[in-house]
Amino acid sequence: MRISAQAKQENRARILEKGAELFIAKGFEECTTRDIAVSSGLATGTLFNYFPSKETLAMTMVSEALNRGREDFRRRRTGEEGLDEDLFLFIASGLRRLRPLRPFIGPVLERSLSPFPRKTVCPEGEAARQEHLDAVHEILAMHGFTKAPDYVAVTMYWSLYLGILAFWAGDDSPNQQATQALMDYSIRMFVQVISGNGADRGEEHAD
Amino acid sequence: MQIEEGTVNELPCLKQLMMALPGENDKDPAGEKLAAILNQVPARKVPVSSFSRLWILGSLHAKVALGYLTCWLRSRFAEAGEKERLRNEAHLTAALQLLGTMGYMRGAVMKLGQLLASLPLVVPEEFARTLASLHFQAPPMHYSVVREVFLDEFGREPEELFASFERRAFAAASLGQVHRARLHSGEEVAVKVQYPDIARTIKSDLRNLRILLQPMCMTADWHNHLEKLADIEEMLMMETDYQQEARFGREIRNNFTSEDRIVVPRIYEEYSTRRVLTTEYLCGVHLDQFLAADPDQELRDHFTHLITAATMRLLYRSHWLLADPNPGNYIFMDDGRLGLIDFGCTRVITDEEWRLQREFERAVINRDEAGINRAIARACLYNDPEEMEPERLAVVGRGALWQMEPWKTEGLFDFGDEEFFRRGIDTFLDVMRRRYDRGKPLYLWTNRFVLGARGITFRLKGRCDFRKIYEQESDACL
Ligand SMILES: Nc1ncnc2c1ncn2[C@@H]1O[C@H](COP(=O)(O)OP(=O)(O)OP(=O)(O)O)[C@@H](O)[C@H]1O
Repeated sequence: MRISAQAKQENRARILEKGAELFIAKGFEECTTRDIAVSSGLATGTLFNYFPSKETLAMTMVSEALNRGREDFRRRRTGEEGLDEDLFLFIASGLRRLRPLRPFIGPVLERSLSPFPRKTVCPEGEAARQEHLDAVHEILAMHGFTKAPDYVAVTMYWSLYLGILAFWAGDDSPNQQATQALMDYSIRMFVQVISGNGADRGEEHAD
Repeated sequence: MQIEEGTVNELPCLKQLMMALPGENDKDPAGEKLAAILNQVPARKVPVSSFSRLWILGSLHAKVALGYLTCWLRSRFAEAGEKERLRNEAHLTAALQLLGTMGYMRGAVMKLGQLLASLPLVVPEEFARTLASLHFQAPPMHYSVVREVFLDEFGREPEELFASFERRAFAAASLGQVHRARLHSGEEVAVKVQYPDIARTIKSDLRNLRILLQPMCMTADWHNHLEKLADIEEMLMMETDYQQEARFGREIRNNFTSEDRIVVPRIYEEYSTRRVLTTEYLCGVHLDQFLAADPDQELRDHFTHLITAATMRLLYRSHWLLADPNPGNYIFMDDGRLGLIDFGCTRVITDEEWRLQREFERAVINRDEAGINRAIARACLYNDPEEMEPERLAVVGRGALWQMEPWKTEGLFDFGDEEFFRRGIDTFLDVMRRRYDRGKPLYLWTNRFVLGARGITFRLKGRCDFRKIYEQESDACL
């Protein structure tokens, strides 16, 4: 049966919504695609038309949250921020959007964003990574870094970011405050490194 | 504790500093280990992960080990030759500068600075200057962090919550920083914002401190140490809860009328949570600036009177001790009023503690020596003066009586008298040196209070009729 683009959109949105509910209630590992199909009112086969796997489904939730976080960041930034403030605002805006998914997100991120070489790379994960790094590059450009960061700087940034995500996923402090402190230090460290030794161009507020 | 030379990954931290301080460690009476640690500090790189670890030890250090440090400073600098003295000061200065650059450490260092800076006879000048400069550095949370705190606490951005909000903090606080803002209704306010996760850091580090102190468990005063640590923990936890501070602030505000010329800022509850405290902004200057304008004796006396009256009122009416009397907590207002801020460190005196305090006070005023000794013995956790070594009784007694001197004096009491102030510091250091610090936990706070407050009134070179204020305030509560 052919269905309208609008109906497709609705189905997709419903799967994402029900999927998130079930992941939160049961946990990512315990929840099956069948469970999700049933509660979305679809046949399991139909669900696969939208999301080829449970991982893809979950990672799509993550990407969408991060996209909204990026929009929040652009809206919230005032243009007066230093580099470290911008990076903090960017990462924090993303985490705030991811917050509802936090109860089940650990294993999803681990599978889709793992930096280790894998047989099958998760395309959604790879896309999310690329989008995130593009945004970082954009932020750097706004602070006068004319050249794209080289692979060392990129790898370093990404490791820090994954570290923050991993810590955040398991952070049991109220509102993940401990993650905020960690972010602050991680970002300062990164900014210091890419600004070269001594002079700390990203941190004019701490003069 | 062993202090190894040159282990790369281990930053000589305040933990070690504290352990090495005289009075805590028989093995290092001359402070050599401390000097060795300080020697290493400036040369070492700081691992990021140790920032938060260090934080609380810094703060505890500031709060509890003030005595030890001043003691060390003093003995060190007095006995050493000029060259060595300078070198030591330089090391200490460098260490402090280093600590001062570490975001979350800054608050703790600042606090230490405030305390030490209020004891002008004790701290070498160069050292005091370093401390002062740390105090005025920009605080460590940038605006993006502040915004996240607001979203978590209020679900709104500072600029939505307030009509306007200054992104740059105007003052540093010990657990956070203070921003100026204006309410939609027009009032100017001071907004104190706490660092993320500071409460948990304090808790976990106090746990570590307990473990660290475990080797002392065989010593005679072990139980007393634990008791004091518990008291400190309770106070620190209270300081992390700005809602608690707001409760104290509200009650304290009710204790004063406009006639008293003492202003306690109004608290705006709708804009306050555990981690954000919004109060009426008080316009005026702090002690240093006040003194820089070279005020005349009358004005100095006037503020000395107000500072004394404010403390005595809270002490006698509410049995509350503002246990953190640093100069930053007093605002000298243009119109001659005294602004009182910061009630996070308010120690509630229990009924039992209060009874003992009043007994002691009466004995002192009646010059009843047996009564004085009895009270001192009990304060030091002995049943009877007979149980105390005579020297302990004498040394602790000198300190206690120094504290009570204003109570015994009719007419103007001169807090600017150098002989008086110096004598107090000396007796205090004597108690520390001889490690006669066993006592009820309350006296941690009264000592801190008396030293801090007298340091301030000494610098003010102010006088007041203490006895009269005492009689008024204590009569009013009968
Ligand atoms: N209501 C206010 N009006 C004017 N200034 C204020 C007000 N509240 C705070 N400040 C400023 O902020 C500084 C720190 O505030 P506060 O003393 O409350 O913080 P704290 O965390 O208790 O710090 P500390 O323990 O170091 O005193 C004060 O010294 C003062 O300069």
